[in-house]
Amino acid sequence: MKNKLEEILKSGTSEIEVLQDLKTLDEVRVKYLGKAGALTQILRGMKDVPAEERREVGSLANSVRETLEKALSEKWAELENAALVAEMEKEKIDITEPSRGVKRGALHPLTRFNNKFMEICVEMGFTVIQGPEIETDYYNFEALNVPKNHPARDMQDSFYITDNILMRTQTSNMQIRAMEKMKPPFKVVCPGRVNRNDSDSSHSPIFNQFEALVIDENIGLKDLMMMIKEILKRLFGEDVKMRVRPSYFPFTEPSIEIDATCQRCQGKGCSLCKGTGFSEVFGAGVVNPKVLEMSGIDSVKYSGFAFGPGIDRSVMVTNKIPNIKYLFRNDLRFLKQMR
Amino acid sequence: MKISYNWLKDFVDLSDLTAEKVAEKLTVSGFEVEDVIYMNKNLHDVYVGHIEKIEKHPEADRLVVCKVDVGFKKVQIITSATNVFEGANVPVSLEGADLANGVKIKPTNFRGVPSDGMFCSGEELGIDENYFEGAGINGILILPENFVAGTKIEDALMLNDVVFDVNVTPNRPDCNSIIGIAREVCAIFGRKFKNFDLGYKTVAGNVNDIVKVSVETENCPRYMASYIKNIKLERSPLWLRSRLHAVDIKPINTIVDITNYILVEQGQPMHAFDYKYLDGGKIVVRQAIRGEKIAVLNGNSYNLDEDVMVIADTNKPVVIAGVIGGVNSCVGNDTIETVFECAAFDLKSVRLTAKKFGLRTDSSARYEKGVNVNSPTVAMKRALHMVDKLGCGEIVDGVVDVCNQKLEAKEEIKISYKKVCKILGFEIPVEKMLSILNGLGIETAVSGDMLLCKSPFIREDIKNENDIAEEVIRIYGYDVYNDMEGGLFENSTTTIGQFEPRIAMENNLKSILVDNGFYETLNYSLYTASACDKLLLAEDDERRKVIKIANPISEDLSTVRTVMAHALLVDVAYNLSVGNKELRFFETGRVYQPKKLPLEELPLENNRLSIAVCESGYDFFALKGVVENLLLVSSLKYTLKRSVEPYLHSGVSADIVAEDGKVIGWFGKVHKSVLKNYDINQDVFYAEIDTDYLAVLPEKQYATKEISKFPTVERDIAVVVDEKISNAELAGAIKSAAGKNFFDVSLFDVYRNESLGEDKKSMAYKIVFMCEEKTLTGEEISAAVNKILRSLQFRFGAKLREM
Repeated sequence: MKNKLEEILKSGTSEIEVLQDLKTLDEVRVKYLGKAGALTQILRGMKDVPAEERREVGSLANSVRETLEKALSEKWAELENAALVAEMEKEKIDITEPSRGVKRGALHPLTRFNNKFMEICVEMGFTVIQGPEIETDYYNFEALNVPKNHPARDMQDSFYITDNILMRTQTSNMQIRAMEKMKPPFKVVCPGRVNRNDSDSSHSPIFNQFEALVIDENIGLKDLMMMIKEILKRLFGEDVKMRVRPSYFPFTEPSIEIDATCQRCQGKGCSLCKGTGFSEVFGAGVVNPKVLEMSGIDSVKYSGFAFGPGIDRSVMVTNKIPNIKYLFRNDLRFLKQMR
Repeated sequence: MKISYNWLKDFVDLSDLTAEKVAEKLTVSGFEVEDVIYMNKNLHDVYVGHIEKIEKHPEADRLVVCKVDVGFKKVQIITSATNVFEGANVPVSLEGADLANGVKIKPTNFRGVPSDGMFCSGEELGIDENYFEGAGINGILILPENFVAGTKIEDALMLNDVVFDVNVTPNRPDCNSIIGIAREVCAIFGRKFKNFDLGYKTVAGNVNDIVKVSVETENCPRYMASYIKNIKLERSPLWLRSRLHAVDIKPINTIVDITNYILVEQGQPMHAFDYKYLDGGKIVVRQAIRGEKIAVLNGNSYNLDEDVMVIADTNKPVVIAGVIGGVNSCVGNDTIETVFECAAFDLKSVRLTAKKFGLRTDSSARYEKGVNVNSPTVAMKRALHMVDKLGCGEIVDGVVDVCNQKLEAKEEIKISYKKVCKILGFEIPVEKMLSILNGLGIETAVSGDMLLCKSPFIREDIKNENDIAEEVIRIYGYDVYNDMEGGLFENSTTTIGQFEPRIAMENNLKSILVDNGFYETLNYSLYTASACDKLLLAEDDERRKVIKIANPISEDLSTVRTVMAHALLVDVAYNLSVGNKELRFFETGRVYQPKKLPLEELPLENNRLSIAVCESGYDFFALKGVVENLLLVSSLKYTLKRSVEPYLHSGVSADIVAEDGKVIGWFGKVHKSVLKNYDINQDVFYAEIDTDYLAVLPEKQYATKEISKFPTVERDIAVVVDEKISNAELAGAIKSAAGKNFFDVSLFDVYRNESLGEDKKSMAYKIVFMCEEKTLTGEEISAAVNKILRSLQFRFGAKLREM
């Protein structure tokens, strides 16, 4: 009996070992463990075994059964896995074929720059505001200390609608509207479209600006410089260098223009920056006390600063856009490159 | 403005500085030097040569071989020029020369005979007959006999200047002059301003007997005149021509050149009249009379009116004041007596006149920015000094001076030192501040905490602490802030930043669109007046009330838009025309609707989102899905109704109607005729939403319910109905007939076939039932479905379709 069991164990394990497919695995299982299987026969014959051996043979038979069952289930797992691997190999696809479904579109580069700029300002405590693009002469010029026939009007050729109403030439109109509406202290930033009657081929008659204004006690040039330094770093990276040129705007005094490392040549000097390595990014200054007074803000108690970048040029340079016309041409071949 | 570096040296010692250094410091002190131009850039390796001998070329009839002494060596030059002769002095360009016309010189060989370089014409040296006699001829420039062989041509012809192109800001009209910039350079480098000579000799007589000036307009605060006789009109000396040439002014003759010289040096425009043409010996400054005409020096004639200030004699206008002189009285070859004008005119008047005629002259450019009423005194003296110095006429004693403005001494202003420091944001030593101000010619005195400041009469821009702060910091240098310690806004109030609700809303919508394959476009707010026609707007459509630009660049940008659709249709048409396909575009922008025309108050500006799709296989329902998804962002409750937008297909378009009845958008297929107007030959789907409306809606709130423990049960039914019955009607009827266990209904198929009958369709619905208390039985469901079918049959004549 013991010999028989050992025989079964030996032949069973060796038969299982060489199995190649699930079907023959089942045949082997039936052959040994099935109702008429070899092991089952033995177990059935247990009653003929002498009582004193029964225990020993019984436990041996059980261990043989367990061994065979384990070998079978391991083999089964092995074969099933092999079958899956083979099936996957058969299902192999060309992963370089194009994807399907709706492809993402893209935001306009100006919007992306706008959003970045607004986020920086909001983090610094600015409230984003918006205002009219068709404006009265008062908000666009007079209240900004640019009376009629002031030479500074030459800097901006305007699209007029009536003698008193025009397409705004600068977002600075929002300085006045903010000062009239809000109580200091406040910080506002206004993105927006502006229009100039400029037929120059390298200028678009419509372009985009930001206007930022801070009014509080104790605001001075130092705050302005610190803020601009921070903004430039966030816009163009830690290594950006800046250069300040005194300038003139009727509504700020002192007035400055800020140049930053030319983003096309990274400061090496190119045709865009005329070899200087710098290009202009902001106009800025301390708010002229005359402007504060005109808008009803106590210029003894409060002071402020304002600054505004024209963003189209920055967008052109940072995105290496070869022609300003692309910004308004809306050619899919251009827009697709912005994905 | 062009500034000659050599000229600057008349007023400030620059011997230890380079032009670059001066330019750089000017830029960081508020006078941006946009360009530094070296007059000699293309003149290196060109020398004065003396032709010693000319021989015929052995192989070529038209060439000659010249032996030339260029001082430091003898060279051989082959030329075809016929105006050279033995003994002549000529410009010789040698190896390495790089002439203005692009010619680079290297030794060559003409039919076996070597040539070391080339003789130059005036043109090749960048000069003309006005600048130097003989420079205008078509041949070699023959130089004067006294020129020395070997002299660099830039020195011989005084073309060795450096010119700065300076951007002078409008607040500094005093710096539209050499002396103005020179004063700045003195302040920047801490140097002394070299005073200039104003002395001159006169001859007996009294100018007041010869020239009568009468000022009859308030636009002329000051008018000065002087009289010079026995004029010798000739070429000005080379040094003077060189300076005018450097600043792009054409030398003409001594008298005219002197007036231009004063204009550039002093920033004071002048005019010279031929006295014999001044009827009555009289100068009248007045507003023109409508109907008067004047022919001026640029060759044009202008019709005058009372807005234009003129200088006239007893009979006629002779000058458009401050702008340009008339041909009827200008200095010409036969002039023997002249009257110099040196005046201050009102800047607004000159500006308006220059604008009216589209005339921009060196004179008007300066007057428009402001010429100080004190300026003519010095300028006139300086001009007369020049006349004396050049010996080009006899100055009759006296100057006519009509001044209608009180010449008061400049008032002192009281400045708080502390306030200046507060504006700057740091403490600047008071001594440093004073020395900077003094360097700028601002007299200062300390009185306690206050500074008493008195600025020179030309500095009309200095009025308060901010002005003083600017003067101090621009000379002190903005570099001081580079390494300054301290955080942002350290002495001010903390504020909380926030986005504008509409911008936040729009960004939300934009990212949904981008995720759905749309590209953002950007279009002008201005368009053509024909947009309304192209979009088939009715004659009485409100949007035909458009705002027109009074001074448009072109018809294409003449009208402020009242409709969004035009721009995207133009974009679609353009993209199709260049072969782009599968177009999904959107734009956010404004339309501008006037309340009344002509515009009296600001128009309504409405922010809108517009969408256009031109793509094969696209349809109304695809666009509807996009619109629905967009509106989910807001708390908007809306219904759809057939749209009446004239540019949409009347059967395949819908208006989005808010709860308050306002139509806040629309979408659908674009009208065929409209597509034709834009030359588009494929279907375009268009949508538009009022984003201002969405932005002010309350924030969307969510209230969720418990998920039922019991399963839902679905039943599908298909009913045949008339075409005119809508999904909304059927689904609504199903919902109301389904009873309390109704959960959801959705249309999943629409089928049309002749077998159903004419104008019939089959609508297949999935109806979902659910009960929160128990699992529904088959009988309960069947009863509900039967009730639904009875209701549909009763209300719409719907018949159950066998599936």
